[in-house]
Amino acid sequence: MSGRDALNERPSDAALAAALRALPEAAPVPDLWPDLARSIDARRRRPWRYALPVALAAGIALALVLPKFATHEVTPSEPATPVANASAPADDVELSQLHKRSQSLERWIAAVAARAPQDGRDLMAAVEVEDLIGLVDVQLGGARTDSDALPLWRQRVALLEDLAVIRGNGVALAANGADGEAMSASLNLLN
Amino acid sequence: MSAASFQIEVPELVLARARRGDARALEQIYRAFERPAYTLALRMVSDAESAREVMHDAMLRLIERIGQFRGDAPFWGWLRQIVVNEALMHLRKSRGAAFEELDERDEPAGDGPPPWLLADAAQLERALGELPPVTRSVLWLYHVEEYTHQEIAEMTGKSVSFSKSQVARGASRLRRLLDRQEKEAASCLAATL
Repeated sequence: MSGRDALNERPSDAALAAALRALPEAAPVPDLWPDLARSIDARRRRPWRYALPVALAAGIALALVLPKFATHEVTPSEPATPVANASAPADDVELSQLHKRSQSLERWIAAVAARAPQDGRDLMAAVEVEDLIGLVDVQLGGARTDSDALPLWRQRVALLEDLAVIRGNGVALAANGADGEAMSASLNLLN
Repeated sequence: MSAASFQIEVPELVLARARRGDARALEQIYRAFERPAYTLALRMVSDAESAREVMHDAMLRLIERIGQFRGDAPFWGWLRQIVVNEALMHLRKSRGAAFEELDERDEPAGDGPPPWLLADAAQLERALGELPPVTRSVLWLYHVEEYTHQEIAEMTGKSVSFSKSQVARGASRLRRLLDRQEKEAASCLAATL
């Protein structure tokens, strides 16, 4: 039993594990491959269709980030999303802080992403988090008020922080000796 | 069925062709992992249609990302992780039932002989199907796929103690479900005599 202390398992646990493993394997009926092959073929023929959700999420993110780069703003700014101002001033302040934090994290992630290879596990985790960020971005595009947008921005920043740590793992390893503390310290600089 | 059934080595030549988008290589990979991947999805999401969706999405995800696989970890582990992630995502999307989990009221069952020693596959599958999806998934990932509690906690976004409690309570609930099936079968038999 890989990575687990089999000695700590009760006999009934071992018996349950054996019973579950003895269950027969299943196969999709009808065969799934023809559908899958059609999906693959359709994506190859119409790459725009596959790329559209990604482009939409990227477009929204760009719309949020680009004005700030263009004007070199360093002070808290208006929310970049086209949401109505139907929120309390405290929410506005938090939204502004979340925008800035989000931008800082994105710049950091963009800077480190190309610097180091990722191992398979980190890569999978990064892809998962990137997909979730894309989903949040799509939801942000539909947010009508600041109150709607606020929890989504919190979620987006939390996901970006996760992604920064995952990307940072690769850089730390590639730096051959750069340890987790150094990476945490550079992340903390973004706060 | 065990973690070992997933442990299929894919020849580097096949992987190289698949990275180039060779349809035959992709199908070879699909065929190699069809059963263990579908079985894992089915055990986690429970119904065949959802399992097909998970499998379909997982394979598309694999095909999209295969160019990024660098071979520093076993391919089967990478693919299995994709299937688990897709199944968990499916469970999260279908909230409500999905993150219903067994609570404190599910006390440990008695110390009698475990009923899974006597149950046949159909009975065990039926009882498994009655567990809440997350509990069933955690139980399966731990006992069959041999993930550690720490790994399960990371995948589900919950704590290690959550994983441990779901495994313990899931086993306890399974025991009660199988006991109930046994009693129902016995009463049916008595009624026919």
